[in-house]
Amino acid sequence: MKRYEYHRPRSLEEALRLKGADPGACYVAGATDVMVRVRAGDLAPTALISLRGVPELRGIDFGDVGRGARLGAATTIGEIAAHPGLREAYPVLAQAAAVLGSVQIRNAATVGGNLCNASPCADTAPALLVLGARLRLQRPGGHREVPLEEFFRGPGETCLARDEVVTQVLLDPPAAGARSAYRKQGRVHMDLAQASLAVLVELDGATCRRALLAAGSVAPVPLRLKPVEALLAGTRLDEGVLAEAGALAARTVAPITDVRATADYRRAIVGVFLRRMLADLRDGGARPARRPA
Amino acid sequence: MAELRYIGTETPRPEAADKASGRATYIHDLQRPGMLHGKVKFSEHAHARIVRIDTSKAERLPGVKAVITARNTPEVRIGFLRDNFALKGDKVRQFRDEVAAVAAIDAETAAAAVELIQVEYEPLPAVFDPVAALEEGAPLIHERDERGRPVTSNRLPLTYRHDSGDLAAGRRAARHVVSGEYSTPLIQQCCLGTAGCLAELDGNGHLTIWAKTQIPFLAQRDFVRALADLGLKGKNARVIVPTLGGGFGTGLDTHAYEYLAILLAWRTGRPVKIVYSREEEFACLSPRQSARSRIEQGCDADGRLTFRHVEVLQDNGAYASWGATYPSVMMLPATSLYRVPNVHFEATLVYTNNTYCQAMRGYGNPEITWGLEQSLDDLAEALGVDPLELRLRNCNEPGEVTPMGLKITTCGLRECLERTGQKLGWREKRGAGRPGPGPRRRGVGLASLVHVGGGGRIYRSDATGVILKFDDFGNVNVLHGGVEMGQGLHSVLSLAVAEAVGVRPESVFINQTDTGTCPWDVGTHASRGAFMACQAALRAGAKARQRIFVLCEGIFPEEAERSLKALRKKNPDYAPPAFDLRAAARRENFELEGGTVTIKGAPVEPWLRVELSRILRGAHFREQGEMLTVEAFYDPPNELPDFERGCGNMSACYAFGTQGAEVEVDTETGEVRILRLVAVHDVGKALNPQTLKGQMYGALAQGLGYALYEEVVTEHGRIVNPDFRDYKIPTACEMDFPIDLDFVETNEPNGPFGAKGVGEPGLVPTAPAIANAIYDAVGIRIHDLPITPGKVLEALAAKDSCGR
Repeated sequence: MKRYEYHRPRSLEEALRLKGADPGACYVAGATDVMVRVRAGDLAPTALISLRGVPELRGIDFGDVGRGARLGAATTIGEIAAHPGLREAYPVLAQAAAVLGSVQIRNAATVGGNLCNASPCADTAPALLVLGARLRLQRPGGHREVPLEEFFRGPGETCLARDEVVTQVLLDPPAAGARSAYRKQGRVHMDLAQASLAVLVELDGATCRRALLAAGSVAPVPLRLKPVEALLAGTRLDEGVLAEAGALAARTVAPITDVRATADYRRAIVGVFLRRMLADLRDGGARPARRPA
Repeated sequence: MAELRYIGTETPRPEAADKASGRATYIHDLQRPGMLHGKVKFSEHAHARIVRIDTSKAERLPGVKAVITARNTPEVRIGFLRDNFALKGDKVRQFRDEVAAVAAIDAETAAAAVELIQVEYEPLPAVFDPVAALEEGAPLIHERDERGRPVTSNRLPLTYRHDSGDLAAGRRAARHVVSGEYSTPLIQQCCLGTAGCLAELDGNGHLTIWAKTQIPFLAQRDFVRALADLGLKGKNARVIVPTLGGGFGTGLDTHAYEYLAILLAWRTGRPVKIVYSREEEFACLSPRQSARSRIEQGCDADGRLTFRHVEVLQDNGAYASWGATYPSVMMLPATSLYRVPNVHFEATLVYTNNTYCQAMRGYGNPEITWGLEQSLDDLAEALGVDPLELRLRNCNEPGEVTPMGLKITTCGLRECLERTGQKLGWREKRGAGRPGPGPRRRGVGLASLVHVGGGGRIYRSDATGVILKFDDFGNVNVLHGGVEMGQGLHSVLSLAVAEAVGVRPESVFINQTDTGTCPWDVGTHASRGAFMACQAALRAGAKARQRIFVLCEGIFPEEAERSLKALRKKNPDYAPPAFDLRAAARRENFELEGGTVTIKGAPVEPWLRVELSRILRGAHFREQGEMLTVEAFYDPPNELPDFERGCGNMSACYAFGTQGAEVEVDTETGEVRILRLVAVHDVGKALNPQTLKGQMYGALAQGLGYALYEEVVTEHGRIVNPDFRDYKIPTACEMDFPIDLDFVETNEPNGPFGAKGVGEPGLVPTAPAIANAIYDAVGIRIHDLPITPGKVLEALAAKDSCGR
């Protein structure tokens, strides 16, 4: 195998400088996606710049529910899944983190990496979409914030400029009455999603003030299901509405058939998941995540 | 045999500590001085003429020592039909065909060199469907046979057919008839240790090859032939088997990569190692055969089976491995699972441009039992009888001779069926249409199997040998040609030797399997490893005891008297009981147990107990001394069947078993959750319950994978899921249900200590048991493995639309 320069900068500034000096270099954190592609010959960076040792990218800043949360981009998936505050305030995110890959993958993979890889099946993406997450992007001499929804451009493509790096994932405090959950379907427990669904509803009794829905593995990018959100807004979540929402969700997604599942099957389970998850959230809160692999 | 001391005890396998601590040496770990690394260039077409191979760039890469193609090496034909070549010269017939190989100083250089080889192809029309391949005008995969005669069809020159009784009469006698078509996919054996070998030629032209094989002695024969192809006529091939990370049938054939390692070693004069990556293992190693079957059977008004008609179409892929002989085993359940008097069986094997297939655990049996056992449930429904009851009515019985001529000695099938039913809660649960939570439905189902249990004669010899070499310390070093590949052979062999000789298992050491030192064995296949090894061990052990007891006539009294003398020195007051030692020291009076020799009926005195090591040293260290080495060769009482007529008692006994499943089907997502598996197997006798259970749990996991998850997916001959990302096998997370495992001990008279071979049966009936449980839960039948949620949803939708 080709040998690569491997840099391990100790500050964000140093990381940006290294990348500036070698534009063909590739940032890595957990390297769980990058190294698979490098070994397969699909990616041939001039060097690897590890972000693991950059303090600005580490840590979960979650003081209290009222302030929201800031996740360093190099926070591992395992840290998110295990964080008591996040689990309570953003169940959808903790549940998505808990079913990503295997224990070993979760210990290495990071939330920033999961998003920058921009796979349609990234587990944290639908969860962070329904949470309205924003990303802080740093470049030499400046930074900007983009809503996650504007971040994904296509499979493997983001709006990240060549000289930018994701430093933080920013979450607003959870809205009053918000309940959320994540479900994914794989062929076995430890699998890429055949389809996944993140649901966040703000409830007034059984009435849905607002719904935010996002699905994975059903379109070129993690997909907000806006027509279904519109249908649900302001309605009472009775069985008729649930069935209608499920059917509309199945029509809204645009999946493909591949070796993991047929398009029909993906459509079908998105509808079933939505119906079941809405009922569960209405009836009592977050359904426990699928047992992690 | 008298009371058993070691056989039947839960004993950890001898190699467990080395495996658990990472000390075991697999092929991947082997190094030899000056060793080079080989890498194979595979075809990029399913069917194409090779126009030109340009290796010049690869040859110029620093570190490359040899680049070989069919154009610069002698032709080496492989396969039992001699239809394959180590390197393809004229055309490629499948995506993974070997067109060139490189030896280089390290694996990275070899991989880089392979990328530099340029091959120009002229694509040919290809055929991927076995039915289409049989049609007139289909592209011919092989234009000529081994002798160069033109071939006109893609049908393999192998006939498997069985006709017994009077099929027409059987049909007339049937009140109820059911029929169905079933299919099973290509699946990968998924050995954790990928394929590989290390080949080395010495200065005299003899080959030593460390190989991942289950057939060291048949491999030796293959490699000797290949050496002759290289001009090394009369040279020896020595096959050594290092620790293997699983076999599951992948070691039943010799493989092109092994011949390529030999060719590269020959070309470079240096040892060459080839090890497959996981992706190569998936894409370039032969998977299990896929099969399509049409099964029709009928019963009379009492539910007695009157006939069975089974036709099989097997997509062989581009070349023939031993996997092409699957129908020899398919015949077994087709003719002999439950009592059926009139049977027709016929198998057609077809070449296609798909990846060629090979053996896997069960060897044709799961492919047929998948359909047979579902069809029986259909028949029970047509008759209006409980499926368990139908099976009991047609249950095989001891003493029966089946239509194939199988002589059923012992048979625990009835008990397997009954116990499975009890454990599953059959009477309460079957047909109850039980709801689970929400839209989920629960059901139970079961299925049985018959398999060879006393060897399986598919070769002129079904024999094995064992050598017991005793040392000065009372240890027994065992040389045996069977292969430990993770199944636990060495564990039961050490117990059997200990039992047969009369030493402790800790004094038994099983040596590495090596054709240079071990006696001949046909191979570790057909669930025969433990059965054969233990039979040979019993015979060798008996010989050893005879020899030891002869030695004891002279040595025992000397040693005992020496002990007595020492005892008296320590304790002058000791008065030994009256005992005529010299008169009692006769060969028929000795006993050897746990490594200690005693005399039957003698007073229980410490000085009258002599350790075996002292007897052995007494024999060794004297004038005209001798050391004890005994051997035994065992060939079981079975027959080489006539497969064209489909008859012959291929095994010395037969293994039976029943498995049951309780499932929960989610009618909205199509997911099938296993709530419980029950497996009750007639094993004759559990030799080491610990390793037996391990083997069964592993088999059930494979059976579950076959049922629900596994499939090598191909598109126009190319494998599209060549990795564990997209080829799913069960993990611990999927095996999260209770497994109720139980053994029926029928004490088989033809078996060692009463045991039958049980290596394969554990995965045979799992899939149909699950399928039958799904039918019980939701009333749908999936005929094509694997049972994916998508297929379940489709079938449920089809059932709904029919119902309306």
